[in-house]
Parts: sequence; structure tokens; C-alpha cells
Amino acid sequence: MFLARIDGTVVPAAKHATLDGCRYLVAQRLEADGSTGPEPLVVIDWLGAAQGSTVLVSTDGDIARQRFGNTTPGRMVVVGIVDQVQTPQQSIGRTA
Amino acid sequence: MRLGIVRGNVTLSPAVPELLGLTLVVLEPVTMANLRAKNGLGGGKSMVAVDALGAAKGQMVAFTEGSEAANPFWPNRVPVDAYCTLIVDTITTSSQPLAT
Repeated sequence: MFLARIDGTVVPAAKHATLDGCRYLVAQRLEADGSTGPEPLVVIDWLGAAQGSTVLVSTDGDIARQRFGNTTPGRMVVVGIVDQVQTPQQSIGRTA
Repeated sequence: MRLGIVRGNVTLSPAVPELLGLTLVVLEPVTMANLRAKNGLGGGKSMVAVDALGAAKGQMVAFTEGSEAANPFWPNRVPVDAYCTLIVDTITTSSQPLAT
């Protein structure tokens, strides 16, 4: 699992049949120093993460399989919207 | 899932039987800088994925990596670790990096 910041949305032209009705968001992985990863990630969300939200993303496809069936290729799922993260160096979260 | 641009396709002869009949596409993963710039460039290390959606050359797809990429073939076991899960119609991002 890792923390990521939501930075956009994806509208699919076509998608795997098991994933009808999902929201797809563009997320950027957050490193411990607050910097973001070089590549965007597309994550599945059903919790309602908004633009700019910090979220916890799980890369275990099991939760996607439980929800969408054994044949789903879904893997990266928003499993929580971060309220606050405290590390010795900094604080990430809604308290802006 | 990462994002990639379809750059071509691959045919195999011979191949292991599990891969017969699958469409393989060459993908160039897209970096955040190129996605924001909307310049049609990828910038990542080229790779091959299974595509069952019919993505055309130049289209952007989101692809699943890892063992989950073989899930669509369940309960069959296939040696696939990258699978095109969706074709992008439109993608919206903030034009500037978000403040951290």
C-alpha cells in the first residue's frame, strides 16, 4: 500500500467488462519527503476521493476480485481517504 | 495501473499454447510530465501487454501489471503480466504539479 495524491480523472472509451461503472482517477504516488513519483497511476475509486485528496492505494487485487469477480484485472484500488499522516519530518493531509 | 501509448503490435511464431490467439501490443508508458504537457509522448521503457479491447496505434491505455493481469483468463493459467484494462477517451489533470 502507498499514499498517493489524486490529480485527475480518466474517462474510458472502452474497458474490461468487469469494471463497468467504476470511477478511474489519476493518482501520483507520494514519497516520504512529499515529492511525487514520475509516472501517473490510474486507480479505481468507490469512496469518492476528490481532486487533491491524499489517498491510501492498495496494489493487492483481492479487494477488486471480491467486488468485481475473479476475472477482473483491477488491481490498484483506493482503500481509504487520508485524514492525516504524521511523520517526524512533515504532516500530509487535510489540515491545510 | 500505469498509462501507456500503443506503439505497435507483436506476433509470435512459435509461442506457448497459452498465448495463441491473444493480441499483444507494444506500449510506451507515459510519464507525468508528458501527460501534463499533452505532447503525445510516452517517455517510459517500452513493454508488451495483452490487449483484448482493440486499442489502435497511438491510443492511450491503462494497463494492469503483475499477477492480476492474468485474472481475465481465470481459471486458465497464462504467462501474462501486463493487460490493457481500459482505453482512455479523455484524461483530465491539473496543468501544474500539485503543491505538496
